[in-house]
Amino acid sequence: MEEKKLSEQESLELISQMIRSTRKNMEVGSGNQFLYWGYFTAALSVLLFLLVYYTGDARWSIGWFSMFLFWGFMLRMQRKETSSVITYTDRAILQVWKVIGSLFVLTVVIMSLLAFHYGGVNFSLMLPLSLLYSGIGVSITGIIIRSRLVMWSPLVGFCFAIYMLMAYTLHQAVTIDWYLYFGLSFVVMMVLPGHYLNRKARNVC
Amino acid sequence: MLKELNPLLHSQLRLAVMSILLSVDEADFVYLKEQTNATAGNLSVQLDKLSEAGYIEVEKSFVGKKPRTVCRMTSTGREAMAEYVEALRGYLTGI
Repeated sequence: MEEKKLSEQESLELISQMIRSTRKNMEVGSGNQFLYWGYFTAALSVLLFLLVYYTGDARWSIGWFSMFLFWGFMLRMQRKETSSVITYTDRAILQVWKVIGSLFVLTVVIMSLLAFHYGGVNFSLMLPLSLLYSGIGVSITGIIIRSRLVMWSPLVGFCFAIYMLMAYTLHQAVTIDWYLYFGLSFVVMMVLPGHYLNRKARNVC
Repeated sequence: MLKELNPLLHSQLRLAVMSILLSVDEADFVYLKEQTNATAGNLSVQLDKLSEAGYIEVEKSFVGKKPRTVCRMTSTGREAMAEYVEALRGYLTGI
């Protein structure tokens, strides 16, 4: 682009052309984060279900904490690949997930403090809480990117979360089936929207 | 009386850069260069002018061993763009 004198009409055209071209390449790979998290969580829930089911040892459930390791791994990967452009949408979504992430950390910290104080606590409550936290994050992301599918996809997870929370009030025992409900919820609220977003982005480009 | 167009913005490359930064939160040098098809030297000079006027913020850092320049529009820049577009409208409608 050379320095040249612009007419008023050319100036307006240039402004709209630049804004258009910037918007065009915004959505490539936008579903990848959902896919990584969705597949990892679904696979982890099936793995832990099988381990607990076949060994009869509930201590395998400590494997759920590997989600925090995965989170650390994802953050490291993100730091390596810097994006050339960050849109307002990207920034808003990033902030939403920062808050959701903090909520996870806060919950585990409070649970751990209680466990330390009372000499034990039931961490199974993390399953419905995680479904609610993640579901709210996905839903807000859907609202920001204006995708109805993404916005409503956490409903299945919300239903399972409410069922799990109600089970506590009804004094029903936690069953390992919950692991599968958890995995299924992540497939519906992250894997499906992830593929949908990537397909949509491919069609746009 | 028609308002005078801001000479700092009424230049093809600077206006292109400002328009891009208007629609994103931040963009790096490589992205701006690709979008505007400008040469690195020319783009660098124009970014300096916009930065000196307080229209954009330029942040230089390193990613690994590679230098990276990220640009963001400031609130002064945003106001200047709004005034510029308003003035353009005046010219086009002949008010």
